Amino acid sequence: MFDEAHPHTFTSPPAWLFWGYMAATIRISVPGTLRYRPIAVRAVAEAARLVSASSPRDPKNPTIDPLAHDIRHPFDTAVVSAFMEIFNNIAIHAYQRKGGGTIEIEITPSKDAIVIEVRDDGRPFDIDDVAPLPTELDEETLPEGGMGIHIAKTMLDEMTYAPGPPNLWRLCKRLPATQVAVGRS
Amino acid sequence: MPVPFEVQRTADETKLLIRGSLDINSAPALAEEIDKIVATRPAAVIVDLSGLDLIDSSGVAALVKLYKGVRGSGGAITIAGARDQPLAIFKLLRMDKVFNL
Repeated sequence: MFDEAHPHTFTSPPAWLFWGYMAATIRISVPGTLRYRPIAVRAVAEAARLVSASSPRDPKNPTIDPLAHDIRHPFDTAVVSAFMEIFNNIAIHAYQRKGGGTIEIEITPSKDAIVIEVRDDGRPFDIDDVAPLPTELDEETLPEGGMGIHIAKTMLDEMTYAPGPPNLWRLCKRLPATQVAVGRS
Repeated sequence: MPVPFEVQRTADETKLLIRGSLDINSAPALAEEIDKIVATRPAAVIVDLSGLDLIDSSGVAALVKLYKGVRGSGGAITIAGARDQPLAIFKLLRMDKVFNL
């Protein structure tokens, strides 16, 4: 839980938070265009918070939409950042910004991890063709593209891709052991 | 879905304040503003990211375009105020050192 007195300290979430629904899978199907991206990102952000048990940034400030932008806990940051890039990739590369298909999302939060499977029926993506970031980064070599897959892969503990149909992205992020609630089985 | 941004111009500098989420849906609108800023060949640009909550690779690309455009025309650019998820992304991409965040 976020500690108001110590804003950079996160302690274990309470066990009751997980009773009854852990390991349940959330399924969402959205049209394969960027128009529906915010809906999917909100669902993933909320599911990540079920695992991290992060609190809203400022409960007293109603202008902050906790579903849309309150991505502060490192676990939430990793999960949402990675998912946003994968959704972008599907809408742009698999469906080529034309839509016409759906993106099937299965989110499985558990006590210490989240697994997200994302399926699409668009054009397969050549993940091996993604260029690495420049070794030496300076003003001249700052990349203006090709960063999305690198962000997703680096943020996650596991990321796999299997060309389809359907194409399947599987994303996994684990909560550090020190942040997992004690006493749950 | 335009990203909330604001441009403040003085005789000495151009200040760009970006708020909310800078992502693949909102970056195109900002990119148009970035083109206008770069076209004026400003001597000094300050980018204030203290109100930015969320960024993706498209948003990063827009900021890189601004950075290169300003530096390419001999101007100075300062990117400041990055926090939380945006700062994590800049660090992951090792851009925090180039941008002096």
